[in-house]
Amino acid sequence: MSRTFGLSTFTLASPFSERDAEAFDRTAGFGYELIEVCVEDPALLSGEWLAQQAERTGLAVGICGAFGPGRDVSSPEPATREAALGYLRSCVDLAAATGSPHVAGPMYAVTGQTRMLDAEDRTAQFRRAADALAEAADYAAGRGVRLAIEALNRFETDLVNTVEQGLALCEATGAENVGLLLDTFHMNIEEKSLGDAVRLAGDRVFHVQVSENDRGTPGSGHVPWDEFFQALDDIDYDGQLVVESFLPTVREIARAVSLWRPVAPSMDALARDGLAFLREHGGGRAS
Amino acid sequence: MFRFTYNTLVYGHEPIERGIERLARFGYDGVEFIGEPGQLDAAAITRALSEHGIRASSVISIYTPERDLVSSDAAVRGRALDYLRGNVDFARAIGAEVVTFTPTACMKITPEAPLEQEWEWAVQAARAAGSHAAEQGITIAVEPWNRYETYLINRAEQAIRFVDEVGAPNVGVMLDTFHMSIEERDLAGAVRASGERLVHVHLADSNRAAPGQGHLDFAPILRAIADIGYDGWISYELLPAAGDVWGVLSGAGAPEFLDEYTGASIAHTKRVLEELGVR
Repeated sequence: MSRTFGLSTFTLASPFSERDAEAFDRTAGFGYELIEVCVEDPALLSGEWLAQQAERTGLAVGICGAFGPGRDVSSPEPATREAALGYLRSCVDLAAATGSPHVAGPMYAVTGQTRMLDAEDRTAQFRRAADALAEAADYAAGRGVRLAIEALNRFETDLVNTVEQGLALCEATGAENVGLLLDTFHMNIEEKSLGDAVRLAGDRVFHVQVSENDRGTPGSGHVPWDEFFQALDDIDYDGQLVVESFLPTVREIARAVSLWRPVAPSMDALARDGLAFLREHGGGRAS
Repeated sequence: MFRFTYNTLVYGHEPIERGIERLARFGYDGVEFIGEPGQLDAAAITRALSEHGIRASSVISIYTPERDLVSSDAAVRGRALDYLRGNVDFARAIGAEVVTFTPTACMKITPEAPLEQEWEWAVQAARAAGSHAAEQGITIAVEPWNRYETYLINRAEQAIRFVDEVGAPNVGVMLDTFHMSIEERDLAGAVRASGERLVHVHLADSNRAAPGQGHLDFAPILRAIADIGYDGWISYELLPAAGDVWGVLSGAGAPEFLDEYTGASIAHTKRVLEELGVR
């Protein structure tokens, strides 16, 4: 079993664009094997450029979506849903062009929506999300790409907060290539037991992001890492582990994720120390 | 040694007398009230407390955009301070010991003015509230909230720095384990760092449900609380798993927060304390 350790571009540059070739060099320089490209604006990136940079630096590429205003496949407005689907298709194209096995992220709704809906409206929203994701999954399947849905904590979304809810959404799409992205920061808030949640997800775990309870360096806080990694061993997870945090200096991001203070001495320190922690604890049984 | 209380906020719209009766029935020593003096009848509360042999512990201030102690609008700041003083008076009227303090409106996550200015306004408000509270024998408890609910004081270390700057003997630090589970790297360490400044405690599990319903290990936290010689209240502030907590509570409500969590919370803590050998 061998897991791939990666670094999110959210720790490097935002919005990530073709002006950020240096991010590939820095990621490789830290010793990572993979760079997770967060596609904030697809117009700023081409699959060709990403593939060139990957080849130049020897890095693999993962594709992650960002679901800000307007990108809502669960919207009651057909035009909004269609625009969000168009964005997802462009992410799938980037994944296909770069060899990313997936497009990952909280793609079922616009991030930051935390409303009280009655059961009927909630069911309707869930259904719209499932139908749209089924359509995106079909497009992705034709290109050998999977969709990895990310549950977010209660303060960032009202639709999918837990693994259990994420599995229900996967199920509702009826698509084989729809699974879950697990993120330890959100799991720390929402799951009763991180280990049980991982085991419940089982072979539907398509992708993993690691982040400390305060979004700081993995290993520096109180996330129950031993339990989490043990559970990944239990399900024979051999995919990617991507270190994710956010640059508190980028105003839009700071607001989107409510990060009001530096959570590590520097992003370089977070990247280096995070990788060292993964190498020591996250490699799986064989390591 | 420990005295137990429970935030009646989650009891929703039921008559407060029923909440008082419930807490007495489950062996609590106190009742924690929300800070809405205009909606609560202090005389009726005092009668019900006396009838059930239980006392008032604390008053939880509810900070809204109209009660924002660091608003850029001086009139709003003034009204927020009046509101806080009103909570102190209400606490005195029902015999509670603690009133909570957080400088920003709940869920306000971007400053309106430079942070240094807002911090200064907050310090002034805490001194003014502290002075008013001192005359009535009430303690002001400064509570850090997680990043989704405020931006100004998220961590114990910030609350400690704030309280030290305020420099009033009856203004101290409050800690809530739900917020801490998001913001603190070492929860027990944050308790120890607060030390004798710690004047109020909210316990909730990592998912804001009753202790035992999430994944927090309460043993080291309670050990630290005991070790620093804390003699205040152990309260439970449990809230629904939603961004819009008020929406849930004003809507269908959350029945598990009534008997089920009221009973489970105190039982869980007493069990942990017993295992620790703390009395």
